[in-house]
Amino acid sequence: MTDVKLIVQRFDPFNDIKPRIMEYAVPKWEGMTVLDALLYARDYLDHSIALRFSCRQASCGSCGMKINGRPRLACYTQVAELGGEKVVTQPMDNFAIVKDLVTDLESFFEKHREVMPYLIRADAREMEKPSAEYVMKPEELEKVLQFTYCIKCGLCTSSCPTVATDSKFLGPQALAQAYRYIADPRDEGGEKRLELLDEAHGVWRCHFAGSCSFVCPKGVDPALGIQLLKRHVMSGNAPHRDGEGAKVWTAPVTTAPQK
Amino acid sequence: MKESRLMLVQYATAVAAVALVSVHLIMQGVIYPYATAISFNNILSIYSNGFYAIFLEALLVVVLVHGFNGVRIILSEFRQTKPWTSWVDAATVLAIIITVAYGTRTVILAVFVGAPA
Repeated sequence: MTDVKLIVQRFDPFNDIKPRIMEYAVPKWEGMTVLDALLYARDYLDHSIALRFSCRQASCGSCGMKINGRPRLACYTQVAELGGEKVVTQPMDNFAIVKDLVTDLESFFEKHREVMPYLIRADAREMEKPSAEYVMKPEELEKVLQFTYCIKCGLCTSSCPTVATDSKFLGPQALAQAYRYIADPRDEGGEKRLELLDEAHGVWRCHFAGSCSFVCPKGVDPALGIQLLKRHVMSGNAPHRDGEGAKVWTAPVTTAPQK
Repeated sequence: MKESRLMLVQYATAVAAVALVSVHLIMQGVIYPYATAISFNNILSIYSNGFYAIFLEALLVVVLVHGFNGVRIILSEFRQTKPWTSWVDAATVLAIIITVAYGTRTVILAVFVGAPA
């Protein structure tokens, strides 16, 4: 069994003035992920390494970090796919560091909440207590499906050059989610969101670098969503603003036919 | 003004600038001999053509609006405070007004006053 040289950027804001680099020799095994390597180092070599993780299967989005210079999920990146014998791990860019590889995602989630990532209906009572099941046609689902795969890992925001300079910019994740709900035929809150996006640090600050789509581990294309969003903002029209798409109903929930 | 309107102006002036600059380069490089295209007397004769004077004025406005609006966008990403944004917006409008006025003055002088005695 050969070793892999695991390099971890360490930083404790309470004790360190600047980040320091630590090297660990970790035994390599087949199928080993970067998260496995980090956990080995933490469990057997240095208990003080701080990292965030949970599901270990690219579902929770907790273990986002910069691996060999590119934002990736540690649990979704195998050591073997990186080539060479050296793995460099650093915290994600564009986020404050809590400690070592753990970044503060508070502003990220705040921006996500800002775009109202939920279905809005004109009729508040209907929204609280739907009288029937909301139905989407397959072709309507097709338009938004990829954006529903977002796991909010923050990799896209970490790679975005605009976020690096403009801290108020909503960022690719929030904008892609805004598109996901605006393009959803069951939603009637598009105009509210368009109003929010059409300001100095909104959708127009995206310069289409495309790095968000490049790094997304779930195959979402936020850059595409943002460009489509720009079209709606420019025209001032949210699709389905008359709620036409949402008029497609099935039978009321209580009387739905049983199989 | 809403950001979408400002971006619409940015895109429209970009398209217009491509068309106007292309015509301008063709005029300077093909129709007029390039070697004498920017000589003083040649320029005065160009301005004596009313259509071309209007064309150059349009080019001036389009390029300045596009350029300064572009600088505004870059500067607005530089800092995010409200006073900074307001200052950048005001400075952009002022810069456009001053430079367009100065350029227009040149066009008017060339068209109506001509060469100095």
